[in-house]
Amino acid sequence: MAPLKHLEKENPIIDACFQDFCASHGILTSCVLHLLFLYLSNYFEDFLLHDLYELTAFSQRQTNADRLKEGITLILSLIERQCRPLVNGLKLLEDLHRNKHTLSTGDKETDSLLQGGFREGQLTELVGPSSSGKTQFCMQAAASVAENHLGRVLYLDTGNSFSARRIAQFICSSSDATLGQKVMSRILCHTVYDIYTLFDTLQDLEITLRLQMNVNESRLRLLVVDSISSLITPILGGSGSQGRALMVAIGYLLKKLAHEHSIAILVTNHTVGAGGEGGKTKPALGETWKSIPHVRLSLSRDHKNSNCTISILKHTSLPSGQAAKTLTRKENQQCP
Amino acid sequence: MGDDEARSWIRGDETAKQMLSRVLKDRAFLLIPPLHRVPLRAGNVVEITGASTSAKTQILIQAAISCILPKTWNGIHYGGLGKLVLFLDLDCRFDVLRLSQMLKHRLLQANWLGNGAWWQLEESNVKSCKSAEEKTKTVFDEELYASCMKRFLYVRCYDSLELLSSLKYFTVLQTLHYRIQQQEACGSQVGVLMIDSIGAFHWTDRLSSSLALETHNRKSLSLTNVVETIVQELKKLLLVHSLVVLATKGTIYKEKYPANENNRKVSSNDHFSGNVASKAQQPPFREFMPSSWQAFVTHKIIIRKSADYQSLQTGQQNLLAYSLEWLQPQLSRIDRFIVDDVRKFTTIKPFYSKLLLIYIVIPASSSHAVWYCHCLVT
Repeated sequence: MAPLKHLEKENPIIDACFQDFCASHGILTSCVLHLLFLYLSNYFEDFLLHDLYELTAFSQRQTNADRLKEGITLILSLIERQCRPLVNGLKLLEDLHRNKHTLSTGDKETDSLLQGGFREGQLTELVGPSSSGKTQFCMQAAASVAENHLGRVLYLDTGNSFSARRIAQFICSSSDATLGQKVMSRILCHTVYDIYTLFDTLQDLEITLRLQMNVNESRLRLLVVDSISSLITPILGGSGSQGRALMVAIGYLLKKLAHEHSIAILVTNHTVGAGGEGGKTKPALGETWKSIPHVRLSLSRDHKNSNCTISILKHTSLPSGQAAKTLTRKENQQCP
Repeated sequence: MGDDEARSWIRGDETAKQMLSRVLKDRAFLLIPPLHRVPLRAGNVVEITGASTSAKTQILIQAAISCILPKTWNGIHYGGLGKLVLFLDLDCRFDVLRLSQMLKHRLLQANWLGNGAWWQLEESNVKSCKSAEEKTKTVFDEELYASCMKRFLYVRCYDSLELLSSLKYFTVLQTLHYRIQQQEACGSQVGVLMIDSIGAFHWTDRLSSSLALETHNRKSLSLTNVVETIVQELKKLLLVHSLVVLATKGTIYKEKYPANENNRKVSSNDHFSGNVASKAQQPPFREFMPSSWQAFVTHKIIIRKSADYQSLQTGQQNLLAYSLEWLQPQLSRIDRFIVDDVRKFTTIKPFYSKLLLIYIVIPASSSHAVWYCHCLVT
């Protein structure tokens, strides 16, 4: 316990009583220092796993354990900082109506299917086989949000499929050059090629949003990750838990971003063969991913007449199984 | 021991009648369809397992509404418990709009019918309220709606650390009492604690357990430790408040024994007892929660997707039908239920007695669908 003695000179909170407690419970001394300096290192977990009743009872039994009691109050205040607030249903509803609006997807049939479009605060997944129009749908959504809702869009592209020219075609007011440029300037595109870059980008985004308080007019409203499955599939493999843990961590990071900063998030996923069921396909990323997005949509294209069909696989407040037919807007089609 | 002390020891504290009235008031039990087969009492922990999109959250929301509604209000009987619901959202996918729509629908229904047993209607009652014009005139009670929504307490946690901190905060600092007093519904107790997806952090905890360094007698944040601590904190909560715990659990492995509804029906017709025995041996899904959680659970339910049910009312196919099976206590009958939009039905037809619920005419004033579980008695 030599380091403790050394620290005692600097920090009077560590007295003999506290040292005894730590020694008897195997809590390392450096954790006390870190806690004192409000550094939430992994030693904080020790206190979460131990019985705090025991700790408080121990402090009650000791007659001159004021320092220990101070330490306990400090730990409890750290726990309070870490825990989530309790809100009631009415406040949740108010927050929903005030902050979380519905964004149009850019296509009327899809909007009527989803009763408005994407909701801010929700993670929407679009599943479809290759060349079924997922990227077109994403770009159309980005254009619609930038133009109609005057919001910024962050487009994370994993497969070099983002095309500014195509976005310009989706924007109805492209005839007016300056307005068109303004709308285009609201869309920001980043390329990410692996999941770790995605983690870094999202964490940077979270820090930026927390500092800026995403509430003004031209705030970030839509985040698109085109083909999140191409980032996750390489790390998912075998029965190890690392790949799935990273996938779940990304899912929760996206949901946290969506809820705390009122952003709608759209991700795309591809399909794989469902073994043993004869020719049918199922969404990639496995069983665990199914419970991560709020809304799951399935896109399929009929190659004979290039009609796309969107159907709902899962929604928080709509029945699954409903479908709508959409037609991808061609180059010179008039805007509705 | 003096004379007086001995006498008071024999005399007793309360009569049997007093004790019974105290116990019955405190430990009201829940009977919510489709979980109505087994009466649930305070201290019970129910685990509802099902694959993704199997109406688990729907059941939780319906149970929550039964709990937050009062028994009677302004002379109308709602049949609820009037207690608080604490919803721990670990999946972070809860949609408060759905709760609000279902609550409004329930309030409207109770206003029309005047009795609270909304899921058991006589045919004659239903026939008498055919005209849609009557419905548009009734408005639900705004004040009641607000007080019910305030009884729904919601916490959202994004990882195990936050979950443990929140649970510790509730138990150690007794802040649940404090917060309850802060709510307008003072004097209310917590009736149900709902955990949406208890296995939500399974993979991240497994990863941290494999990465953690086990240094002498220091506990690391591993999967078993986290679940043990959660169970301990829940036990402490159960000591202080008389509540029922309803936890949903998703499946994270693909079903190894895909017991199809059709297969099961065929075999059950032949030898029912044999089927039950084989079910007992083979677990229908792969259990991934540690043994400390499994020992804590007192009731288990599994929900599976059933064959599509064709609704006679609208002639619509592809209605979502689910089958519900009680694993613990093991019941021999399997309930089937459908989740359907109550808004769509425009005619009332008396149908065969097997159906437990009868659809009611709803005015198409609300633009959103309202979803309810309707039970089918097999």
